[in-house]
Amino acid sequence: MKNIITLLMPRICSFKGKRFSKNNTGGLFKLLLFGTIGIVFWGGIFAVSLRVLGYFKEIAELGDILACKLLSMIILTFFFLLVFSSILTSLSKLYLSRDLSLVHSLPVPSYKVFIARWIESTADSSWMVIVYTLPVFISYGIVYQTGFLFYINMVITLLSLSIIASGLSAVLVITAVNFLAASRIRNIGLFIGLCFFLVLFFAFRFLRPERLVDPEAFATALFYLKALKTPAPPYLPSTWAFDSMKALLYGNITEGMFQLALLWSFAGVIVFMVIIIAEAIYFKGLSKTRTAQIRLFNYKGTRSLFLTFLSRPVRAFAVKELRTFFRDQTQWSQLFLVAALVVIYIYNFNVLPIEKAPIKTVYLQNLLSFLNMGLAGFVLTAVTARFAYPAVSTEKQAFWLVKSAPIPLANYLWIKFIIYYLPLLILTEILIVATNILLKVSPFMMGLSIINIFFMVPGVVSMGIGFGAAYPDFKSENPAQTVTSFGGLLFMIACAGYIGAVIIIEAGPVYNLFIAGIKETPLSGFMWIWIIGSFAAAFMINILAIVLPMKFGEKKLSRLLI
Amino acid sequence: MIELKALTKRYGNFVAVDNLNLLIPKGEIFGFIGPNGAGKTTTINMIGGILAPTLGTVMICGINMESDPEKAKRKIGFIPERPYLYEKLTGMEFLKFIADLYGVGEDVFLIKSQEKLEMFFLSDWSDDLIESYSHGMKQRLVMAAALVHDPEVIIVDEPMVGLDPLAIKMVKNLFRSLAKQGVTIFISTHTLKVAEDICDRIGVIHKGALIASGTPEDLKRQVNETDADLEQVFIRLTEE
Repeated sequence: MKNIITLLMPRICSFKGKRFSKNNTGGLFKLLLFGTIGIVFWGGIFAVSLRVLGYFKEIAELGDILACKLLSMIILTFFFLLVFSSILTSLSKLYLSRDLSLVHSLPVPSYKVFIARWIESTADSSWMVIVYTLPVFISYGIVYQTGFLFYINMVITLLSLSIIASGLSAVLVITAVNFLAASRIRNIGLFIGLCFFLVLFFAFRFLRPERLVDPEAFATALFYLKALKTPAPPYLPSTWAFDSMKALLYGNITEGMFQLALLWSFAGVIVFMVIIIAEAIYFKGLSKTRTAQIRLFNYKGTRSLFLTFLSRPVRAFAVKELRTFFRDQTQWSQLFLVAALVVIYIYNFNVLPIEKAPIKTVYLQNLLSFLNMGLAGFVLTAVTARFAYPAVSTEKQAFWLVKSAPIPLANYLWIKFIIYYLPLLILTEILIVATNILLKVSPFMMGLSIINIFFMVPGVVSMGIGFGAAYPDFKSENPAQTVTSFGGLLFMIACAGYIGAVIIIEAGPVYNLFIAGIKETPLSGFMWIWIIGSFAAAFMINILAIVLPMKFGEKKLSRLLI
Repeated sequence: MIELKALTKRYGNFVAVDNLNLLIPKGEIFGFIGPNGAGKTTTINMIGGILAPTLGTVMICGINMESDPEKAKRKIGFIPERPYLYEKLTGMEFLKFIADLYGVGEDVFLIKSQEKLEMFFLSDWSDDLIESYSHGMKQRLVMAAALVHDPEVIIVDEPMVGLDPLAIKMVKNLFRSLAKQGVTIFISTHTLKVAEDICDRIGVIHKGALIASGTPEDLKRQVNETDADLEQVFIRLTEE
């Protein structure tokens, strides 16, 4: 046990060192900022849960069924989220971490190394899921006015589920690594997880839940409610957790304790099993991951015919960027996700019941189109955060090549900008044009949307590249995660402010132009001045959004010590 | 030619390099030795244009690194201590990337790349992704890339780390041959034998300051031990 605690000490010490050192004032600021956002998000979940459960509680009989079904679904989702998260974390902790060579060279049995890593993995993969599902479960306790025992049971149940999920994932991972290389499993796991998520999402989306508000679909809803009473599979730990919580929700302590005992006994068995399996095959699997990479494709030749119109240094970076991007399999699943996002986004507009709304259709269509510019801007921000923001960090520790290359840093950043600008512009214009066609908007609104997005995309991409350059992380194993850092947060805030400002500035003039068009009335001189002034201001904001972040990024990056 | 004038780098209150003055003429191999943390890599990074000095100037073939960094860098072949590269490119693609950055013509590149890959025993691996290379292979690829544009100055940090004896011998011969052709070479190293074998002059840096400079014989005379080897001279010069 002493060895295991010793192996965990570097992690504990680095956490303490990072959070509580006297000179870490910047860290304290970041902690406060992230903490505030986290608390606001937590409070939002809590408020929504209370409202929904309170609403359910008011519906006689049906409400309790709905609340229980919801609880069952939440616990099932919680459990599968934990399993998925644990697979990725344990794979990384057990097989891909950089310090594995060091810890395995120590005079400690490999199963003890495994236990220490597994404890770390369990904590890392489950703490956030637990923290952000707690407000939902607390809401149940408040709405159903349970005793204190419900809350204690809730915490103990969630802990046992975390241990079970993490244990099952570890068994799965250490068995799989003996057959496949660890680096490939991560990609395959990510891909399968994404597919699973997308199938669920599409299935839910194509069920068209908006029809439930339509009285004509009530017969379908009755069938749905009948299905709600179907019990969950009894062999799943999440079902025992649900049964335990449900029992305590209604004050049935004996039943609750029995289910909890079932959970913990299973958790104990899993821990026992996972240690035995790890002792037998963990080190063997680890040794297998240390073999040379297998060549999947033949990469003969260096010619890039389609970029010959670019100057040599620009082409060098563009070709390098494209090759490294498409050869990284983790990017493929992300592209797949973006394609799905586009389909879902456009489909949502296709099924909007505009004609049933109490507001005049023409007005609503164009209002939605205008607001859609903001919405598409936020989608653009999310995609930029995933792809353009980490663009500088993806150089990783090879960034010395950029610093020693005979091209200015500004040029390097603008090359990155162009590479991401073009595909993101096409993506956002597709979103805007397709949704406007589905909304059947006026030619004025169509033209305005296209032009507006044309100017907003470079602003957002520039912020992505600029903030990414100002706050790079060249040591991160997964640069895509850099967006969750302080710089990423600043980028998101800046983008939200920028998009919001442009939309607000244009809202008044666009409304007046639109109404004047419908009513066929001329605009006054004052109106024209206001309209021209507003559009000029929006244009200036766009220009500043393009230039300033790039300058900021260049300045910070040039001062960076590597 | 490399000229360092009052080169200084400070990190807050800590002085990493203190008022360094050096003139390394064309065709000379200059060895830079010193204990860990003496300021060798900081100096190398400033000469390579990777790090801006706090004070002083770096001149590469008469070009000021501060006022015209792109032109100065075009003259340099930079070889860092740790060969971090773009892992998803092949060896050949990496050479092409470097050649494009330094404006090497297409025809010249085809000849040069084959020549350098053969020289560094990488021909059989040229179409494999760099992620499958060993540390030594990556180090050899960095060296090949640094030479692909025929630099007038080579700056190299710990050149022999990760290389096998055959490659070490080849690199030593290569540096001697390049120096004869007029290439200026600045080598930072801990391997005193390498410095003694190939360098025309050696500079000893300690706590950021250049404490001795000259041929190995000059250094021996400086510590009054003409029979000592470079290791003993180094210890005498850097001991507290």
